[in-house]
Amino acid sequence: MTYYLTTVLVYAAVDILACLAISLQFGVSGIVNFSFIIFQAAGAYTAAVLSLPRDTANGGFQTYILGLNLSFPLPWIAATLVGALLAPPIGLVVLRRLRSDYQAIAMLVLSVIASLVVTNTPAFLDGAAGLSLVPQPLSDKFNPYSEAYLWAYTAGALILAVIVFFIAQRIINSPYGRSLRAMRENEVAAKALGKNAVALKMTVFVVGGAIAGLSGAILVGFITTWAPSTWLYPETLILFAAVIVGGRGNNYGAVLGALLVPVGFEEATRYLPPFGPPGLIPALEWVCIGGLILGFLWFRPRGVLPERRRVFPPRRQVAEVGNPSASRD
Amino acid sequence: MSLIVAAFGFGLVSMSIIAISAVGFTMQFGITNMINLAYGQVMIASAYAAYALNNAGVSIWLSLPVGAIFGAVFSFLLNRLVYAPFQRKGTNLIGMVIISLAVSLVIANVMLPIVGYYSVSYHQDPGTTYHFGSIALTGEQILIIALAVVVMLAIYALLRFTRLGKAMRATAANPTLARNCGIPTARVVDLAWLITGALCGVAGTVAGMNSDSFSVASGSEFLIPIIAASILGGAGSPYGAMIGAVIIGEMTEISAAIISPEYKQVVAFAVLVLVMVLRPQGLLAKRGALAAAG
Amino acid sequence: MPVETDADPVTPVAGRPALDQPPPLLVAQHVSRHFEGVRAVEDVSIDVLPGRITGLIGPNGAGKSTFLAVLAGTLPASSGRIIFDGHDVTALPAFRRARRGLVRTFQLPSEFAQLTVLENLLAAAPDNRGDTLRGALLGKRYWKGDEDRLVEQARVLLDRFRMSAKESDYASSLSGGQKRLLEIMRALMLQPRLLLLDEPMSGVHPSIIGDIADYCEALRDEGLTILMVEHELHMIERMANPVVVMAQGSVIGQGTMAALRQQREIVDAYLVG
Repeated sequence: MTYYLTTVLVYAAVDILACLAISLQFGVSGIVNFSFIIFQAAGAYTAAVLSLPRDTANGGFQTYILGLNLSFPLPWIAATLVGALLAPPIGLVVLRRLRSDYQAIAMLVLSVIASLVVTNTPAFLDGAAGLSLVPQPLSDKFNPYSEAYLWAYTAGALILAVIVFFIAQRIINSPYGRSLRAMRENEVAAKALGKNAVALKMTVFVVGGAIAGLSGAILVGFITTWAPSTWLYPETLILFAAVIVGGRGNNYGAVLGALLVPVGFEEATRYLPPFGPPGLIPALEWVCIGGLILGFLWFRPRGVLPERRRVFPPRRQVAEVGNPSASRD
Repeated sequence: MSLIVAAFGFGLVSMSIIAISAVGFTMQFGITNMINLAYGQVMIASAYAAYALNNAGVSIWLSLPVGAIFGAVFSFLLNRLVYAPFQRKGTNLIGMVIISLAVSLVIANVMLPIVGYYSVSYHQDPGTTYHFGSIALTGEQILIIALAVVVMLAIYALLRFTRLGKAMRATAANPTLARNCGIPTARVVDLAWLITGALCGVAGTVAGMNSDSFSVASGSEFLIPIIAASILGGAGSPYGAMIGAVIIGEMTEISAAIISPEYKQVVAFAVLVLVMVLRPQGLLAKRGALAAAG
Repeated sequence: MPVETDADPVTPVAGRPALDQPPPLLVAQHVSRHFEGVRAVEDVSIDVLPGRITGLIGPNGAGKSTFLAVLAGTLPASSGRIIFDGHDVTALPAFRRARRGLVRTFQLPSEFAQLTVLENLLAAAPDNRGDTLRGALLGKRYWKGDEDRLVEQARVLLDRFRMSAKESDYASSLSGGQKRLLEIMRALMLQPRLLLLDEPMSGVHPSIIGDIADYCEALRDEGLTILMVEHELHMIERMANPVVVMAQGSVIGQGTMAALRQQREIVDAYLVG
């Protein structure tokens, strides 16, 4: 029971992080990052190969680069950094000159290709089989199978999610967030008003990448395995579905979406009695995800919790008196 | 060296298949301003439609028209029932891309339980193998190349000489203006989806014929060289897509011979990245989406 | 800065001799813009004198909007030079020109639809400490001072343009004319030196056209320089001096509207009909 609960909660924290990042990129800034999942994967692989011993250990049944056997929290910090550093090269190719829908398909293709490359290069990250036996953080000091450890891990993951939530809140409620939203609404006009759209997009891309990298590290530290099958491009679409359902541009909406869609679906199907041939339920799940996107975009495009309208407090009386000269002609 | 020449021969087949599919893909974009990411899945669905007939004992060449008709009707309905309503609602470009990806996911996973999870192969007779120096092509492969040439000429004739083709070009260049000039743009768009859908169906079936086997998962694999060829040529330009297909088809096959077949798609992607950095508008710059030849 | 032009020299305003003329705020030298062989703008050279409203008129397709876009940096020039306030800005991207005080509006409504009217103005304001990632992360205390100041500044503008009641409405809900005003206010938030207005009166209810003209004249009288593309000729006649006429990508004449009416080829090209 502890294992089940902590698993659900860690997944929730990871999905919340991912949805906050997607909401920041897509909801606030209008960037459709269809390669989001590779940022998460980059973080997970980084954390894995930094915390794993050399690949000759464990009988050498898997091959991978590095294997530095670093102790926590270095692998997590590195994962966050790698997620962030992956953003500029991709952003420089994709985000500068292409039309918004081109950007999206370029990143989609990138996601498919990255998965192909990793799958077909076993010496890099063990190919299709993926990495396993990834040491849990601090597993040399604590028993990672004890209830206390599981709960501590869960608490840590949730605390990180809360911290990132507040960071995201600061961003979207600031003048900077307003510039991002202005760019989303009309990029050409924003540029004509002095906004450096490329720089705005790049920073959001980097911040989102860092969050994605961290989320990957949290997940791989808990489930201890990571393989290409866990980061195929449709996984990104689940997160988009979550943000569209929850409400893009609203961080509470991102959290709600994360709990309803990825977490909710996973848990709901767990309790379904098995029916049909094997593979039918996952297929139907995907149909539902696609249907959710279409349904929400049609009936409620702004989601359950839409971006809120920002109303400024009325001016103080002094100001009113102070400006009688406001000319009216 | 002979290996590369042989690969060049395979490249001729690859480019033929990519050309048929990429012309359909890029015309959808040119005429309706819509990047249809479900294109690969419609290809696969059409390939399975042809397979149903083929599996019942009909020759694959006779099943090919069924694939074409299936692709045409499917694409037409897809636009009528999903894309067009969303576009009328004012959904922006980004929204439409997300919608087409969601549609792609739905098609793939509705198909899975119906057609199964395993790869299938057409029952076909590849025919005698003909040798041209180091190039070895089966009769079937030669027919695929011939089919592609016929299709390209037909598209050229359609756009160049027919009233429908001119109406399509006008609609692509400026739908509002075209409508004001009395062009029935709604009907033009319907016909465009039928024609490009048929191309999609043909492409899916011949792609199935040219590969040892195919499955639902092949859809997204098909899509990458198509996107690469379309963007390389200049999105929306059918002639650009043809040139793109030639380059991508040959490059992927020759690199497969030199490096490794697993990296075929990676080469297509590398070309795509280069184009995006150096010339995002593609080789034939987009002018009114469907630029006239000559 | 003396510039060779094929067109007539600018007619001096009565009472202000040419000798005393201040240097132009913006100089366009032989500016061209080609789209794949189509010469949208061909070798256009004009001076924009400070403190005036310069009108830019011409038939549809004359290249006026394209020229404006090239001046603002929305479109790069194919050739030619643009000198703003003594600096060559030809190579600068649009956002840098805007930061130097060269700000444009758009022919089509370009409001930030899902931002409120007040937010539209605030989004345009420069010099907000919270308008960087770092500033945002430092929190509200760090940027609240700037924000309050800019809110105040925006509200003064809203008052002046009689839009205060709409402050918290989404910009998408405004009428065509209100969107025009919003765009002008938004540009004014940058405290521009030169305002490029692209048909500020098109798609506007006739009753508001006069208001927009009033606002433009008031801004000019406060020292703002304006270059305005417009089809409402009687308004151009009232406000603008000089007026530049473009046709088929080139300048075919300039001077006061009254002087232009005397020139037969210009009347033939545009003013009739």
